[in-house]
Amino acid sequence: MNKWTRRGFIGAGVLTGGALVVGVAVRPGNPVDKLRGDVASGPGEELVNAWVKIDHDNTVTAIVPHCEMGQGAHTALAQMLADELDADWAKVAVMQAPANGFYVVPDTAREFVAKWSVDAPNWIEPTYNGLFTQVARLADVMITGGSSSVRTTGQHTMRMAGAAARHMLVAAAARKWGVPEGEVVAENSLLSHKASGKSATYGEFAEAASHEHMPQTPPLKDVSQFKLMGKGLKRLDIPAKVDGSAKFGLDAAVPGEALRYAAVKAAPVPGAKVEAINAEAARTMPGVLQILNMGDFVAVVADGYWQAQQALNTIEASYSKTDGDLLDSAMLRARFAKALDAAGDAGGKSLARRGDAVGALKGAAKKVTAEYQVPFVAHAAMEPMNCTARVAGGKCEVWTSTQVPLMARSAIAKALGIGAEDVTVNQLYLGGAFGRRLESDYPVQAARIAKATGYPVKMIWSREEDTRQDFYRPADTSRFSAGLDAGGKVLGWNNVFTQLNDPPGSWDVAHYDIPAVSIRRAEADMHLRFGSLRSVDHSQQGFFIESFVDELAHAAGQDPFEFRRSLLAKSPRHKAVLEKVARMAGWGSPLPKGTARGIAIVKSFGTIVAEVAQVSMQDGRPSVDKVWCCADAGYVMNPDGFAAQMEGGIIYGLTTALYSGITLKNGAVEQANFDTYPMVRMDEAPDIEVAFINADTRELGGAGEPGLPPIAPAVCNAIFAATGLRIRELPVMSHFA
Amino acid sequence: MSPPPLRGLVLAATVALPLAGCAKKAPDPIEQIVVRKPGDPPVVVPLASTDPVAAGKRAFAASCSACHAASADAAKGVGPALYGVIGRKAASVPGFAYSAAMKGSGLTWSGPEIEALIANPQGIVPGTSMNAGAVSDANARHAIVQYLKTLGPKG
Amino acid sequence: MIQTTVNGQPRQLDVDPATPILWVVRETLGMTGTKFGCGIAQCGACTVHLDGQPVRSCSTPVSEADGKAITTIEGLAGGDGKLHPLQQAWIDAQVPQCGYCQSGQLMSAAALLRDTPRPSDDQIDAAMAGNICRCGTYGRIRKAIKAAAGIEPATTGAEG
Repeated sequence: MNKWTRRGFIGAGVLTGGALVVGVAVRPGNPVDKLRGDVASGPGEELVNAWVKIDHDNTVTAIVPHCEMGQGAHTALAQMLADELDADWAKVAVMQAPANGFYVVPDTAREFVAKWSVDAPNWIEPTYNGLFTQVARLADVMITGGSSSVRTTGQHTMRMAGAAARHMLVAAAARKWGVPEGEVVAENSLLSHKASGKSATYGEFAEAASHEHMPQTPPLKDVSQFKLMGKGLKRLDIPAKVDGSAKFGLDAAVPGEALRYAAVKAAPVPGAKVEAINAEAARTMPGVLQILNMGDFVAVVADGYWQAQQALNTIEASYSKTDGDLLDSAMLRARFAKALDAAGDAGGKSLARRGDAVGALKGAAKKVTAEYQVPFVAHAAMEPMNCTARVAGGKCEVWTSTQVPLMARSAIAKALGIGAEDVTVNQLYLGGAFGRRLESDYPVQAARIAKATGYPVKMIWSREEDTRQDFYRPADTSRFSAGLDAGGKVLGWNNVFTQLNDPPGSWDVAHYDIPAVSIRRAEADMHLRFGSLRSVDHSQQGFFIESFVDELAHAAGQDPFEFRRSLLAKSPRHKAVLEKVARMAGWGSPLPKGTARGIAIVKSFGTIVAEVAQVSMQDGRPSVDKVWCCADAGYVMNPDGFAAQMEGGIIYGLTTALYSGITLKNGAVEQANFDTYPMVRMDEAPDIEVAFINADTRELGGAGEPGLPPIAPAVCNAIFAATGLRIRELPVMSHFA
Repeated sequence: MSPPPLRGLVLAATVALPLAGCAKKAPDPIEQIVVRKPGDPPVVVPLASTDPVAAGKRAFAASCSACHAASADAAKGVGPALYGVIGRKAASVPGFAYSAAMKGSGLTWSGPEIEALIANPQGIVPGTSMNAGAVSDANARHAIVQYLKTLGPKG
Repeated sequence: MIQTTVNGQPRQLDVDPATPILWVVRETLGMTGTKFGCGIAQCGACTVHLDGQPVRSCSTPVSEADGKAITTIEGLAGGDGKLHPLQQAWIDAQVPQCGYCQSGQLMSAAALLRDTPRPSDDQIDAAMAGNICRCGTYGRIRKAIKAAAGIEPATTGAEG
């Protein structure tokens, strides 16, 4: 009937005991039986390879292939499935899908690999779908990232599974009662037929439904029919997170076996090897079982974690020399400047070119130039990296918190020289991730330690190790020049910067009406490991672009909101978001002296977000007192959960903007713990007001990341308005020591 | 340097799939010191039988070094650097943000004063920001002080 | 041998008395609700009560608990299983995201409300500034504390 029908890639089965399962059929003829051995668990739950399971007791379980790290995906995806199924929300449970190849996320693969395929005609869908499932499986795409769970898996998989199961239940009831399908009502996990007065629970028809024909293209609800989608339902994981019962990676237990604990310290300069260790003191310390020089890191295994860490603290190690040994932050900055100098006005790799930007600047009445810089940033999730591992009989089992369980499985298999099928990854709640847990270094370390000891080991990183062995948001320098005509209209935009990670287009300004644009990249080398940090390149590009646009507004003598508004004349959705946030914030109304507002707007991960920050100067330092946020994510599935993600993105981005700066000395990271790498705390957290616009119910945007990019420029623009000081280098507080 | 995961995904899906099988197996440990097996009784090493300065250095590393540096030129830590602490007036390292309680303590750090402090920081200086670092073992406290005495210009 | 009470149960602990309470609670007693975040009393994830006072258990040796009572997140609810008013307020305001820091947040908030039943914003800031949350739930924590204190009703959500 519409776009959704392309996801006709599901199958059905029946559990022992007669529960209905609707889920992924891997390919035609692939029996669900094949999976049973892999995933057998408790009685009546022996087959869980499915997206939805309906038990005799009328419980509906949504089986979710994404991890839960605080973003609320478990609840939002269950909500979408349950709505299409017309299930009673009070009887809906959610379960983390096991980490095996049948739970890859083809829609995530499609979103990032080949977005062009998403609007393919229906007839080609089975081919695409099969292709992407295969691609996803080969690439271990069981991934939670890119603010993608709701807009990909939710929209294209969970809703389909729910709608198909509903259709089968209706068909089974109609057959048994001898009435037309069209007269059977499915609502609140109950089936009923008004004329005959018959009714039954979904659970009663679960087994019968499994014998019904499963529609490959079940019709999905229109927005006007939503009952659960669009509602701020309470999260299913929260009760366990207020009484200490939620199990995170750190809390893992190995069934039936005692745990020993490992503390680790890797070579402080990335790429260096541990040449020798002096463990004389450590070997006499209480509880110590083993001391390991693993070549790239040192580990102490003890009866308790604290004992292991205490003993590790006494070990002296020597490291091999590397090219990075003498590098410090100032040298890196000089290296960036050299690369940018070499690129000049037109060099480097061209990323976007519309019109003649260099020529447009030559003829401009006014030319504005600026250079912006950001430092490396560490993720600093509250739960330090950790993993529990057991290696025995050529097999490995780990318990951990990861965004990429299948990639972790492959990485462990490679490191141990065994097959992926011999590795089991058990997924627990993530105590924050923000992109850090897209890397599989720590599960591999734990597996290597457990292989050496031969008994199960829980490896826990100290906070110091977590800060110093991150995959960092790269440091970056960006240079802009722009030309204005006499009336303040932007004629040309020329930009070159050093770092490029993901997602493509984070550097673009296509939403602004600028006739000539040149955007380039001048690559510069570094020895630190880079990774994806919440909103990835948007975290620095948002700051660069929206700060520079503010500079242009002031150069043009215009109000920063009105200036953006006129630049957005051809981007009506951006304009509506900007106007709404300005209204919320009372933009333009008078404020006390020393207090000012700043505004910024960034589209990332499919969602347009505008923010206004109100900043006051207190004892010579900026205080962010209030933030207003308006977002257009197409359609918001769970308003309260969406608001929470905006709030979270703003606070995370505020810490990054105000405080986060990883610096290097002699090739090693200088910061170690929260004393030297500070965080925004309760006493600095602004009030945040969130609103949204539902402008497109078909193509959704993400929630987890888009709240972040506008906050740094909104705050810096407010600081400029309050003080006249233009912050061109983060962190902000380095300017207010 | 690892590629970022999402770009890695693109690569993996388009060109790099055959590489998946080429990754190297991680090396086994270069050195593996097995002190004892799980469940075996602990190895008892009486602290007092070894060189007290060495024992103190070990105890310092275990209990103090997370917050305090032992060198004069150390970067700012959670606690002040302890180079030359013996004989020093409390709250006298320039530029360190001491608590009001520590500033007003009037203490001068002799060996016994330090031993008393690290036995019970809040008991000796109520309101100190030293929330951590209590050392319950008297031998270890004594050893730490012997080690601290070696730090300083004369040490 | 350390004699202590944990969530109302008398316990005799045969552990190194220098071991921080955090690791005794987690590894010796198997109660994993109390979390490790920094190890140097900077983040508050490990907050428990010692004779009713909030302490950072990562930096408090278990010898300090000799003859005293430890309360962890597992003991915050009443003996009848009824949630502490703060726990209910945390659910009503949908406070937790990843949830990792929330045991510590709740223990700090519980100590605050016991001593200061109707805290001002400044008092909330002062009592809670030792607890870091990376998910950014501070605003909701503030609302939930006020709701539990009866100062403000619990509200959530964004306007459409």
